[in-house]
Amino acid sequence: MENIDLLYHARGESKFIDDLRLPSDALYAAIFYSSTGHGRILSLDLRDALLMPGVKAILTSKDIPGENQIGGVIADETLLAEDEVHYAGQPIALVVAESPECARKAVKKIKVLFDELPVVLDPREAFRKGSFIIPPRIFSMGNTSLAWDNCLVIVEGRAETGAQEHLYLETQGSVAYPTDSGSLKVTSSTQAPTAVQRAVSRVTGLPMNKIEVEASRLGGGFGGKEDQANSFAAMAALSALKLNRPVKLVLSRQEDLRITGKRHPYSSDFKLGLDSEGRILAYEVTFYQNAGASADLSPAILDRTLFHCTNSYFVPNVKATAYSLRTNLPPMTAFRGFGAPQGMFAIESAIFKAAEKMGVEPSYLQEKNLLKEGDAFPYGQSAEGCRAKESWLAALETFETGEIKNRIEKFNRENQFFKKGFAFMPICFGISFTNASMNQAGALVHIYSDGSIGISTAAVEMGQGVNMKLRQIASAIFQVSLDKIKIEPANTTRVANTSPTAASAAADLNGKALEKACNELLERLLNAAALKLKTEDKPVIINEEILLKEEKTGLKWEDLVKMAFDERMDLTSHAHHITPGIYFDKLLNQGRPFNYHVYGTGVVEVTLDCLRGTYTVDSLKAIHDSGKPLNPLIDRGQAEGAAIQGLGWLTMEEIAYASKGPLLSDSLSAYKVPDVYFSPGELDIRFLKASDNPRGIFNSKAIGEPPFMYAIGVFFALYNAIKEFRPEVRMDFTAPLTNERLLLALYSKEKNTVTA
Amino acid sequence: MSKDSKKGGISRRKFLQGVGSGIIGSYVLTPGIAKAAEALKKNSEKLILSVPLTLKVNGKQAHLLVEPRTTLAEVLREKLGLTGTKVACNNGECGGCTVLLDKKAVYSCHILALDAEGKEVTTIEGIMKGENLHPIQQAFIDHDGLQCGFCTPGQVMAAEALLLKNPKPTRQDVLEGMSGNVCRCAAYPNIIESVLAAAEKAGSETAELK
Ligand code: FES
Ligand code: FES
Repeated sequence: MENIDLLYHARGESKFIDDLRLPSDALYAAIFYSSTGHGRILSLDLRDALLMPGVKAILTSKDIPGENQIGGVIADETLLAEDEVHYAGQPIALVVAESPECARKAVKKIKVLFDELPVVLDPREAFRKGSFIIPPRIFSMGNTSLAWDNCLVIVEGRAETGAQEHLYLETQGSVAYPTDSGSLKVTSSTQAPTAVQRAVSRVTGLPMNKIEVEASRLGGGFGGKEDQANSFAAMAALSALKLNRPVKLVLSRQEDLRITGKRHPYSSDFKLGLDSEGRILAYEVTFYQNAGASADLSPAILDRTLFHCTNSYFVPNVKATAYSLRTNLPPMTAFRGFGAPQGMFAIESAIFKAAEKMGVEPSYLQEKNLLKEGDAFPYGQSAEGCRAKESWLAALETFETGEIKNRIEKFNRENQFFKKGFAFMPICFGISFTNASMNQAGALVHIYSDGSIGISTAAVEMGQGVNMKLRQIASAIFQVSLDKIKIEPANTTRVANTSPTAASAAADLNGKALEKACNELLERLLNAAALKLKTEDKPVIINEEILLKEEKTGLKWEDLVKMAFDERMDLTSHAHHITPGIYFDKLLNQGRPFNYHVYGTGVVEVTLDCLRGTYTVDSLKAIHDSGKPLNPLIDRGQAEGAAIQGLGWLTMEEIAYASKGPLLSDSLSAYKVPDVYFSPGELDIRFLKASDNPRGIFNSKAIGEPPFMYAIGVFFALYNAIKEFRPEVRMDFTAPLTNERLLLALYSKEKNTVTA
Repeated sequence: MSKDSKKGGISRRKFLQGVGSGIIGSYVLTPGIAKAAEALKKNSEKLILSVPLTLKVNGKQAHLLVEPRTTLAEVLREKLGLTGTKVACNNGECGGCTVLLDKKAVYSCHILALDAEGKEVTTIEGIMKGENLHPIQQAFIDHDGLQCGFCTPGQVMAAEALLLKNPKPTRQDVLEGMSGNVCRCAAYPNIIESVLAAAEKAGSETAELK
């Protein structure tokens, strides 16, 4: 059996947080949260709740022994509200009881009175009020004001993208156990064990060495458990510490939907200028990021929007301004793509509008402006190993896009009420945490005396197959079979001070650290072998056999390990890796933030039912540059999953908040995500041949996020289909393009606006 | 809700408070609800009380005492320790908790444990053939029909129900049969492949036997 995780998942034997067997004295916590978007707490009445049999304690901000603060980037987020609430869903108190049902019933008995304050949900309104999370960020290159004069065509417009719920199928959760000597062990459904450890330490006042955090596996994360797992782990830890009993806190789906943040909604203004041949000369864009009530990871996400605001195009004159705005929504957070999709959507909208004005196809402009080797990005780095054009041409050829076009034209001539549309979507995505200090990782490798191997890193398995990739790396280096290698859960006592499993970089960073640790051990073992074989030559291991000058020595892996053990050799190795050569000056906004870029070209085809405003995504095809994929099966699954999630974001996934702030789309019947029917009829993602990546582990490239953005093509494919039915329409660039918006675009009286 | 449920003088509203939100919106008087109502009649003051229940799960009998409002999913996970069945929404909207009830797929979060009495319950833990994987499990692994694995037990059970009813499904049948199961990792293309492959394999094996 190759991929052990798959085996245990398929048998239903993998244990997620809610599956853990707890000691009989365990207690259960539930959260009492705000029902209003903004208000002063006038009174909090806990009496009835406390009187309920089974309730052990109700904790509020006053019970926090350390700091009531979980803001990792900016200290602007309390664990439990003090005298004001800033969003509906904000935790106010924690009920700890003998059963989860009892805790939830008691939550319902808590009474709170608010003095309601004005609620701001819109980032532009927050901008007018000056509610900034951080000072504005500006990336620029060349001089846009001078460039406009040289432009033949200039278009301006607005692009809007909505929030997106992560909907990891496993909700947020944590179990905290008091251990001896006043310490805590915390298991958490987190992408970032060290971040949890830090948050728990801050809240409890315990030093980090008294807090052990473990994350075995997640039932999906997608960024939603990068920062936001911290608070739930801190709540479980606080309760465990206070009551000196194990405490479990697992959110119900509705709680998770209401309390946690989502992908940031953005509203953007763009201005794009081109010359007569369609070359982009200048691009100005202003992003209004709806950050919610506190910073969370918004500043880093804002930066990534700027990094990717020109997608895979070369633009000589750029001025990109970004505002992160405080509103009365739950703190928005990381989600696959981390701000890049919002940035790319804006420039694609601008290009679409320019093509409309010039009477050419958007793909003409897209192709014309693709990055070439050595072209500069607006942040000081230049394109190296650029595969923008290569993947574009490969897509044209592989998918016979000329044929697609002809077929679609024929279909559209022959059908009155069904129209097809298609669109290209090139992507370029930088790999590395843009906060340079986060680009580090550690790996701890034990070879046990029986020859089996245990590996610890900070990579958290959440479906992206990182465990399998790590096993492949160790297996290739030691030349032992995969079944000898086990990946341990990420645990802060084994590998400390780690970065989250995020930025698509877990396999890259942890894999490199692992490579180093394995090579050190291998070196030791081979030296021992040489000694034993009394040779100056270096033996090698092939398939668990020790060879000398290509001859078998009769020594096997197990013999070698046993021998090394008897020789009292250290069979454990720890290694640390940092990504070399990356830096970024946050004042000048110049540097080399990325280790490398991932490129690719997607092609999306849709059929629109022009009577009903419904549609099918007939196909999503892409040529994707994944270097030499470490595991093509896993990488294809990641690419497909990302693309489908992206399709959801652009079409059906619509988050709605009531005017006072509470989430309206708080169940799966109100918030629809792609199901098996929605999956494109044909999903064909192929890896660019003859690609490599000397900067990646074993020449591979990161895979988790980039393919998400192929889905942006679906918006423009649908727009094209609408125009086949109603050529004069000029639609807003507002995503998600729901059936409702589609119908309006097809039939609304005004031809210029269809904002639903 | 029919008038029967008012027998013990328990209004529907009051009764539903007792049985929890799991059945709100359900207007069918199931035997489970009737039994719960009967039990309540004897003790209308105290809404929370346990009633005996015998369940047959994965071929084994279990004698239990449960509160009437308990869902099948809760009994499986909490009383029987069968945590392979995942609860992702607890609201009949995602399919994570899919199990077989007399060979038909049901959302176990959305049915009362009392309503499973006298029926055959099969969970992910019960479909292995001894030490061997069920062909559907094997097909999911071979075709990478899963990523994080949280939806997988539900997917496998939905596929099992589909293939029991329709051993030779078309692609369209698969879409229909699996459409009640959300996979947020969106492993859908491979899920479809997995189910089709499992069907094909089973088909060729029966052909060999003949
Ligand atoms: S958990 Fe039962 S359907 Fe979602
Ligand atoms: S595999 Fe993650 S939800 Fe389906």
